Amino acid sequence: MDFNFYFLLALAAGYLFFLFLVAWITDRGWLPARLVRHPVVYVFSLGVYCSAWAIYGSVGYAYQYGYNYLAYFLGISGVFLLAPILLAPILRLTTTYQLGSLADLFAFRYRSRAAGALTTLIMLVSMLPLLAMQIKAVSESVVIMSGDSQPLDVAIWFCMLLTLFAILFGARHATAREKHEGLVVAMATESLIKLVAFVGVALIGLFGVFDGPSGLNEWLDQHPEMLARLYFPLQDGTWHSLILAFFVSAVVMPHMFHMAFAENLNPRALVTASWAVPTMLLVMAICVPVILWAAMAKDVATPADYFALGLSSRFGGQGALLAYIAGLAGATGMLIVATLALSGMTLHHLVLPLRRPEPGEDLYRWLLWARRILIVAIIGLAYLFYSWVGHRHSLTTLGVMSFVATLQFVPGLVGTLFWPGGNRRGVLAGLVIGSSLWLLLLVLPALSPVWHWTALSEFLGLRFASPVDQWHTIALMSVGANGAVFAVISLLTTASSAEQNAAQTCAVDSLRRPYRWKLESSNVDDFIGSLTAPLGPVTAEREIELALRDLGLSRNETRPYALRRLRDQLETNLSGLLGPSVAHQLVDDHLPYKAQGDEESNEDIQFIESRLEQYRSRLSGLAAELDSLRRFHRQTLLELPMGVVSLGADGEIIGWNLAMEKLTGISGQRMTGSRLANLPSNWREPLLRFATGPVQHMPQQEIAIRGVNRWLSLHKSRVHESIHGERDAGQVIVVEDITEIRALELRAAHNERLASIGRLAAGVAHEIGNPVTAIACLTQNMALGATDEELQQGTEQILEQTRRISRIVESLVTFSHSGQLPQQHHLPVDIHDSAAEAIALLAMDPDRRQQRFVNDCTTGLKVSGDPQRLLQVFVNLFANAADASPDNQPVRITTKAQDGHVEVNIEDHGHGIPAALLDTLFEPFVTSKPPGRGTGLGLALVYSIIEDHSGSIRAESPIEGDHGTRFVIRLPAVAADTASNGITA
Amino acid sequence: MYTDRLLIIFILGTYLLSPAIIEWWSDGGRAWFRPFLVWMLLIGLSYWIGRSRDFDGL
Repeated sequence: MDFNFYFLLALAAGYLFFLFLVAWITDRGWLPARLVRHPVVYVFSLGVYCSAWAIYGSVGYAYQYGYNYLAYFLGISGVFLLAPILLAPILRLTTTYQLGSLADLFAFRYRSRAAGALTTLIMLVSMLPLLAMQIKAVSESVVIMSGDSQPLDVAIWFCMLLTLFAILFGARHATAREKHEGLVVAMATESLIKLVAFVGVALIGLFGVFDGPSGLNEWLDQHPEMLARLYFPLQDGTWHSLILAFFVSAVVMPHMFHMAFAENLNPRALVTASWAVPTMLLVMAICVPVILWAAMAKDVATPADYFALGLSSRFGGQGALLAYIAGLAGATGMLIVATLALSGMTLHHLVLPLRRPEPGEDLYRWLLWARRILIVAIIGLAYLFYSWVGHRHSLTTLGVMSFVATLQFVPGLVGTLFWPGGNRRGVLAGLVIGSSLWLLLLVLPALSPVWHWTALSEFLGLRFASPVDQWHTIALMSVGANGAVFAVISLLTTASSAEQNAAQTCAVDSLRRPYRWKLESSNVDDFIGSLTAPLGPVTAEREIELALRDLGLSRNETRPYALRRLRDQLETNLSGLLGPSVAHQLVDDHLPYKAQGDEESNEDIQFIESRLEQYRSRLSGLAAELDSLRRFHRQTLLELPMGVVSLGADGEIIGWNLAMEKLTGISGQRMTGSRLANLPSNWREPLLRFATGPVQHMPQQEIAIRGVNRWLSLHKSRVHESIHGERDAGQVIVVEDITEIRALELRAAHNERLASIGRLAAGVAHEIGNPVTAIACLTQNMALGATDEELQQGTEQILEQTRRISRIVESLVTFSHSGQLPQQHHLPVDIHDSAAEAIALLAMDPDRRQQRFVNDCTTGLKVSGDPQRLLQVFVNLFANAADASPDNQPVRITTKAQDGHVEVNIEDHGHGIPAALLDTLFEPFVTSKPPGRGTGLGLALVYSIIEDHSGSIRAESPIEGDHGTRFVIRLPAVAADTASNGITA
Repeated sequence: MYTDRLLIIFILGTYLLSPAIIEWWSDGGRAWFRPFLVWMLLIGLSYWIGRSRDFDGL
């Protein structure tokens, strides 16, 4: 089966070029987005887990350790079967806070740069054997197939090709917010090829060697030792350690974390992955014993690790190439993604904390180049490890070294998701202890007998010649010590408030309870100014624009709540760019909160509420019931018909209900998180004065709203929080709009005043009327008997004066509502006709100065009323207008129908009404006429009649410059059909 | 959330009881595919749960 070495190398290059092409086509957008984001693509991209171990190593492992090989496939299947409780929370965290690796997650959760750095360091060291294993698998497969090359030569060529691909398609974006779609699709393609090729090899074995499943069964009957060989190692006690190691590695291994979380293009795809990934692995796992038995049946001469290669080569060149491509696909996929992930971790946690680009440099370019250099360095290190020790060990040994190391992250991960009590001191100490035991007991002795610490092994009760044979004991011992130290130290020490906050954010079962700390910066420009120093002006501007866009906020934002969200979003975005440790420190240093004690800070209720809304679907049982209750109370407050403003102890607006929105015309979204000082001036002054003042109630407060004065009653109450001891948690202000009530009160008072005057007038009229009548009678008698001209003139004047008194008395009687037609007897009155009649009556008065009237009333517009009393209204108003008007200026009367009412306008061009009189114009005995010319009862009478007709009257003066008066009367109109029947309501 | 806790306890219990499972598995004889059948059953269960349950708002 000898193939040409250069042909095999060219095949590897061709395969990588093909992946390159797939990635390039995807990045160009030539593949539909629906396909790229399809769950199947995500599922296959997770096939990156199946490295050369799956293709070659698992067959070798099954040969040596029987069914234990299944642990590799079952471990990751278990993780995905438990995706809702294990992977979904991690995905939510990584997506929300742009965390690209386990080191990012630990640095974020434990608020510790050291945790991130230590995780990266351990990951780098622990991944070297696994990376070396991939290089070894490819180079040895080439050697097996070509028969004449040196593995190291192949390895170096292979590493160079890989480096090129990783740089070209894995490191194109500096920030984690940009996904490498090309890489995802390329990895999915790679997994598909791997799966098809591996299944192809198994089918070759099944049908080529055994003639199908029945043939296989017959062969197994003839060789029962083969089944025993598979079952027996299950009893050796390694199963628990194995399944645990592979279970954990499926989550924490950098390449898995990268593909499952950092490069996830569609979070919902995790639902499909929960059953599809185990299915994919089941198919691969079931192929392993078939390949093993077929290879043994055929007495394949290759080492057990390469049985797939040896078996398929027995069936011609194409068969061998199938296994070679499967192994190549497994190794390249894992190497590329793991290298990319490790380069990101190293950059964020080892490089950037030590050296950051200068503010003047292009940050994004700097980060990209740093990442590319790290890719070269990591592949170089993997090659060195392989060439130094890797080529001397089996694939199994190399794999075991790496997988055991991943167990060291279990306690930290449990602390992240399920135990907010764990702290950074605990996790750091646990990692140091666990990884030290792993290094001293497993890795170093395996690398060189010189480093076999017999004394240490014996001290720990470990008695064995080869550490790798007892790896499961070392695994459990190291992770046990790690977990115990983590728990004990976490319980003995306390975490900082920032760490506690992060712990609540990450924990599956709890909700972060952020505080409303005050920021030094008070607007977006301050943010830009503060970040210019560390990032440079261009990057600072761009990052803030991005964060504003992510949050849907405007550049003019000044609300403290919005600025706090902007700060959080900036930290998240910078975390994707620089890693959480550097981002956290950068934001802490340059966008600090004001120094304040814990007692001054209040929980950010608004933010907690918005988070609860997001988590609603996650709540069940009692929590869901409580949430329903919370929503009910919130809705009650929101829809209360009175304005409610909730203020925090620091004066920040926490609540602004719908009635408040309607009253002020300012949305709750705009006001929440703001302060009263940010309100428009008409609201700011009274609310601020009331909120800070000592009084609990302010009964009548006049505020101009959209040009109209409204009357409000303000009430407030302090809110006390009793959860953390009795302390002030702010206040609630209730704003009651009493404008309508006040108008009714004013009207009632006015009517009462008029009624009193009416009663008085009636009494006075009665008491004065009788003597005046007597005087008039006596004077007439005197006039009849008088011959003296002087006496006659005197009696005539007395009679004239008594007539005048009688007119006044009549006015008083009329005003006192005597003779009022009940409303049910109202008739339709045509305004035009009524106005015309009033004009005619005035024209017949010989004592009156004749004034021109223009009756522009629309004919046919009718109101319901007493025709005589309405006529009196017009006579009074027209007479007043005529008295006030100059000779050459007519009085104009117009009407218009509006909203079921008829509006009558009477305009004159006279001297106008003094402003001081306008407010009391319709009060009795108020007149602008000279003494003796008017009684002051005319307009009061008009007002009274209009009120009786359910109408309204107002005076506007001046209407032209400083001249003119307009009386506007509104009366309910009569519907056309009612009017025609002559029936009124 | 309470369901998740129960599930975790169940998984831990299964893990600790796995010697019994392995014993049953080792007694398979010619039925070497026993673990794969259980595996398929779990996949079916997971598919059914995935269809009927919202993945915590994913």
